[in-house]
Amino acid sequence: MKLKKRQICWFSNIDGYLIVMQIECHDISYQYPQTDAHVFEHLSCQVTGPGFHALFGQSGLGKTTLARMIAGELTGYSGQIQSRQIAEVLYAHNMERFPGWAGIGDMMASTMQASGHDMLNELVNAFGIQPVMNARFSQLSLGQKNRANLIRYLLQKFDLLIMDESLANVDETTRGRIIITLKTLFPEKCFLYISHNMMEIAKFCNQIVVLRSPCKHPQTSMISGQNLMTENNFVMKDLEQTMLEIVHAS
Amino acid sequence: MKDENRGQGTWKSIKTIVWLGVWLFLLGRTGDCGELTPVTYRLKWLFNTSVVGDLYADVHGAFARQGIKVVVKEGGPERDSIKEIELGYAQFGVASADQVIRAVAKGSPIVVIAQLFQVNPLQWVYRTDTLSFDSPAAMISFVRGKTLGLTYGGNDETIMRTLLTKFGISEASVNVYSVRYDYTPFYEGKVDLWPVYVNAQGIVIQNKLEKAKERVSFFNPDELGVRFVANSVVTSQKMFSEQPDIVNKFRKGLIEGWQDAVALENNEKAVSVLQQFDKDTPVEIIRRQLAATRGLIKPGPESAVGSIDIPAWKQTEQIMLDQKLISVPIHLDNVLKPF
Amino acid sequence: MLHRRIQQFFLVYFLGLLSLLLVKYLLNLSDYVIPGPVEIWQTCKSVFARYVFNVLDTLWIAVVGHIISIILAFMVGILGRHNSWIGSLIKATAYSIQAYPIVAVAPIIFILLGDGLITRLLIAVMICYFPLLLSVIGILSEPVDSIEHFYVSTKRMNWRLQVRIRAYENINKLTTVIAGSATMAVVGTIIAEFIAADAGIGYSIRTALYQSDLSKILTALFLIGIGTSLYLTGLEWVGNVIQRKCQI
Repeated sequence: MKLKKRQICWFSNIDGYLIVMQIECHDISYQYPQTDAHVFEHLSCQVTGPGFHALFGQSGLGKTTLARMIAGELTGYSGQIQSRQIAEVLYAHNMERFPGWAGIGDMMASTMQASGHDMLNELVNAFGIQPVMNARFSQLSLGQKNRANLIRYLLQKFDLLIMDESLANVDETTRGRIIITLKTLFPEKCFLYISHNMMEIAKFCNQIVVLRSPCKHPQTSMISGQNLMTENNFVMKDLEQTMLEIVHAS
Repeated sequence: MKDENRGQGTWKSIKTIVWLGVWLFLLGRTGDCGELTPVTYRLKWLFNTSVVGDLYADVHGAFARQGIKVVVKEGGPERDSIKEIELGYAQFGVASADQVIRAVAKGSPIVVIAQLFQVNPLQWVYRTDTLSFDSPAAMISFVRGKTLGLTYGGNDETIMRTLLTKFGISEASVNVYSVRYDYTPFYEGKVDLWPVYVNAQGIVIQNKLEKAKERVSFFNPDELGVRFVANSVVTSQKMFSEQPDIVNKFRKGLIEGWQDAVALENNEKAVSVLQQFDKDTPVEIIRRQLAATRGLIKPGPESAVGSIDIPAWKQTEQIMLDQKLISVPIHLDNVLKPF
Repeated sequence: MLHRRIQQFFLVYFLGLLSLLLVKYLLNLSDYVIPGPVEIWQTCKSVFARYVFNVLDTLWIAVVGHIISIILAFMVGILGRHNSWIGSLIKATAYSIQAYPIVAVAPIIFILLGDGLITRLLIAVMICYFPLLLSVIGILSEPVDSIEHFYVSTKRMNWRLQVRIRAYENINKLTTVIAGSATMAVVGTIIAEFIAADAGIGYSIRTALYQSDLSKILTALFLIGIGTSLYLTGLEWVGNVIQRKCQI
């Protein structure tokens, strides 16, 4: 099998076998402490390969819970979460804040790797927050806050970044631009995007894990997205088909 | 007919209730007449040997025999019986002479009806091994260069300053140590003379040091001619003039109580009374304290318990004038009301 | 700020004084129980200068004691901010010691340390330290998840950063607690002086009490009020400066 150059990073060859970047949840069951209701009952799903993937579902179905389990921030569940070729998992969410004692530019610089300056500049320009880099976090709009928070995560060492509503309160055009920038700048990384914007997910994501109610079996369904690399170059019929599949899977 | 009966029944009930009310009212009135009039007596200090006579009078019915009911209330550092009398919270109280003179100087309408301590119990304890003297004058000369314990603002400061002035000792020639609640500086030997109530803490300190094979003695300013009157019984001028009967009954009951308490034959009864109120002091200490108190209340066979020592009061007044604690004399004749 | 605080203190003080005088004249009490205005004024004139120095003496002990308490509370608070065994031990100790009335503990301190400056300082520290410590522990042990999550996830969190985040996020609470404990430091110093020191305004009050001289006590209370107001105003000013700087 001949691999493209950029694919080399996410496949590795051990004893003649190709191992692909993968995160797999197997037979996960979980209920919140001091409650009887199950959030997950024998849930299984997997996301394979780098790229921009999605975790979709209605509110309250446990997207954040599953994301935190994958990130290792939540334990106490039964079943297994296995990862291959993924050493560093980060989980970013839209409720995060920067400390207030310095501007966001300084705060980002203080937490990035020494070689990250070029990347920082590129991200700041692409995300459109250049004018507010000297402002304190509290002075930013909600959309700017989320973009700034995402940038600082992108400057970290990671293999999988879970973005839980990380682009909330950002306008649609900018969101699309940001997602395409991520796909371009981090082709060898894996992103798991949590959003309620079905069209956006159908348009830009590769694998879409649709989370269903615990009373439905199986509790997840896997849909292939359009995985677009440009904003407007898509066939409407295909997009509608993907969205329809998501709706049916939910 | 039925209505008429019902009307008669109601009228009967009303009459019964009215009669019952009148009967209860009269019963209440009769009850009041039968009871003794209670008066409040505020002591100067906590229940200890210094108030043995007050407690004895109460426990052994001396007040009741006079036909009055007395509520004896404990004193303390934050209590001021003169203020309580003026505010109407107490009818009788114990106050030191300087307190009385200061209050009268500020217009407080009070009178002294008895003087409990004929000898001031406020004396200075010292180690006999380190301070020895043949006469009071020698003792005074010995004081030079020594460390004296004083309570700033207290009676002991007034008395010691009087002594130093009287014997021409400048304050610069002695070291003054500001006295605290605890006696550690004296135990440690940092202070040579420590002010104590000779019949109370004095005995405790003496007992403690005796156990450590140390001998102590007490320096009594009275022996050097400084007579500063201590605890006396006060009441308001109004009470004294408008209710002389109650005042006399109270005074008689109180003096009787004190006489009985310090009588040798009643020693065990007095000890028992003290034990009842002062549960923290061991009985052997109480016995020694009572013996010391006896000499302060009735220093000689001829001494009359409760008698007001007018020359001593005059000297006290003069001392306070000299030390500018009061600005003008207070006409003691109007204040002291002996039997 | 100072002007307003002093004005408010004057209002409260003179209302209190007026009430006292009203009681005096209504009940026809002697000057021994409540002194008249002339006596109060004359006493005030005669002891004012001495009492000002006494208040300053008390105030500087209170300020030093307060600073020591703040430093100590932060040091121990940082150690005890985790819900670990040490943390719960520190909290339990703080609660127990706070439950003891300082007037009962003070004589023991005087026996051990004598009646000098150190004892006054220690009692002032003890009175304001424990409430301060409990507040500081409370503030520093409360995670600020929305900020800390990133640093924990990226393994950049250390104790200094954690304390800095939590202190910064609760700067208003901390400045309020510190300003509040200043009053306790002043009260603590006065109590220490009252019980067993030979300097300071608390000692002067004790002496005045021996002499039943309410005029002196009223003068002392007046000066303590002024001194405390000045100190609190200073603290509030520092607190406002810090908060302003934090908000830039």
